[in-house]
Amino acid sequence: MDMVLEADRLGKRYGSTWALRDCSLHLPAGRIAALVGPNGAGKSTLLHLAVGLLKPDAGTVRVFGRSPYGDTEGLADIGFVAQDTPLYRDFTAAELVIAGGKLNKRWDAALARQRLAQLGIPPDKPVGKLSGGQRAQVALALALAKQPRLLLLDEPVASLDPLARREFLQSLMGSVAESGTTVLLSSHLLADLERVCDYLIVLNASQVQLTGTVDDLVAEHRQLVGPRHDGGVIGGVAAVIRASHTDRQSTLLVRTDGPVTDPAWTVREVSLEDVVLAYLADGTTQTSHSEWGVAA
Amino acid sequence: MIWLTWRQHRKQAFYTLLGLAALAALLVPIGLAMRHTFSDLGLTDCASQLARADVAQATRETCDAGYRRFGNQYGNLSLVAVLLITLPVLVGLFWGAPLVAREVEQGTHRFVWTQGVGRTRWALVKFGLVSGSVLILATVYGLGMSWWVDPLTKAAHEGRFGMIVFDLQGIVPIGYTLFAVALGVFAGTVWKRMLPAMGITLAGYIGVRAAVELLARRHYQPARTQTFPIEGEGPPEVSRGDWVLAQGVRNPDGTMISEGGRIQCPPGGKGPDGRVCGAELGLEPGAYNWQLYQPADRFWLFQGIETGIFVALAVLLLYLAVRRIRRIA
Repeated sequence: MDMVLEADRLGKRYGSTWALRDCSLHLPAGRIAALVGPNGAGKSTLLHLAVGLLKPDAGTVRVFGRSPYGDTEGLADIGFVAQDTPLYRDFTAAELVIAGGKLNKRWDAALARQRLAQLGIPPDKPVGKLSGGQRAQVALALALAKQPRLLLLDEPVASLDPLARREFLQSLMGSVAESGTTVLLSSHLLADLERVCDYLIVLNASQVQLTGTVDDLVAEHRQLVGPRHDGGVIGGVAAVIRASHTDRQSTLLVRTDGPVTDPAWTVREVSLEDVVLAYLADGTTQTSHSEWGVAA
Repeated sequence: MIWLTWRQHRKQAFYTLLGLAALAALLVPIGLAMRHTFSDLGLTDCASQLARADVAQATRETCDAGYRRFGNQYGNLSLVAVLLITLPVLVGLFWGAPLVAREVEQGTHRFVWTQGVGRTRWALVKFGLVSGSVLILATVYGLGMSWWVDPLTKAAHEGRFGMIVFDLQGIVPIGYTLFAVALGVFAGTVWKRMLPAMGITLAGYIGVRAAVELLARRHYQPARTQTFPIEGEGPPEVSRGDWVLAQGVRNPDGTMISEGGRIQCPPGGKGPDGRVCGAELGLEPGAYNWQLYQPADRFWLFQGIETGIFVALAVLLLYLAVRRIRRIA
């Protein structure tokens, strides 16, 4: 399968803090991938590395087989919408379309105007005076006018109201469905992206916790409820991701590598959100206790 | 890129030109009036007449009186000149500092640097266009100021080498302005916010300018020394426009007796108590006036050297700024 984005033990450091560390992942072509993780997990850093804004401090990142940092030609294939959709606020949408044409060799201005007209965005109003949702749509239209093979969106819906979120994602899906563009979009809320993505990358505490297609992830995780569990081996369970116990009963979220046949356990299917939360809950709070100088 | 640069900065360019036009509207009438008075007082030919060795005593006195009257009338304009030397740093503050800092502060660098042109090219085109415009601006300013300040410098004793007026005219404003802009751009790549970048630009500009002006400028060329006797007719032979770095009265063996002073006695003159000229200071017979100076005809050489220093600093800063831009995300 063609890989659009490959990271191998990728790391980025700010001062002595690693914003991203030992990050290895593959993004196959044609996927709509969600990059999910809490704030500060390294999502923006990963996207900035992928679009060549940042230079890796460790490991490698490749987009279409090329190292993106300092690669101007490679930029033509990548559409990028940064967090908070920064645009020149005193430019009108029409002027931004012209600016994009001046800054790119491949540029479909007609497509951009068509989109913006459909969305009812005024061409002669400074984009700083548009609503957040409209501005995000302008930024998306500009990114799509590059006709990119990979579209990177950093928290595109974070600042939008629920209605604008849905409209944004709908128009995004509509436009990439035909072109076969690979999309990687980040959010700290899975719920935002769950309906549109078919691939998932979970980042937490600067490391990749989970990656795979949504179908596989849902299929291979199960919730087990049964007698209090003391850490013994359960047939068909590859790993226990998260466990909670009462005096007599344990609830486990597990990754399976076969059917769980032990009749002591009740097996339930899980939602994608259950899986993600289980991975995110793992291992975030240990350090802060010592940093605050209090007992865990 | 050129279109983008123009679109981004056209408002700023408009206000800059408006400001310059207002300044010209204010200064040109003053300049014309000044020139009018200058020729009315018969000072037009004084410079060339005084430079001659056989200048008549009467001419010298007329000229000196004229210079004094001119100085009384227009001397206060030196204060205006002090205000005018701040213009280059204003250009640095409002054109240089926001160039990168504003993009980063508003996050638009992530938009523009991820389009099809690389950020190095973005930086080169932007720096090039802004520096080019600033170059034209500074040239106009330097030439205009040379014209405006000309009568003032002619009337002043130290001429064009004077502290403020040297910085105001000729080609040095080009060096200062380019340096201020480059410093602003560089500060913007380091601090990445407009206000700190502007503050650093202001402080850095004043620091470097003061250091060059007070410490370096006098050493661009080995200074010349001149000695002349303490007894003589009329005022001493000092050509106007020389930049006197140090002066004093020395004994024949070279020891400095009166630093910063100058003595002039009529030939064979005696003090009130009958002692010879300067004896009360401890001067021995044969004592002489001494001065260390940069001659007036080195003006353009000094202008060239000073401009060169600041242009070189500007180039260095812009180079560092381009390098730093590659590391901003």
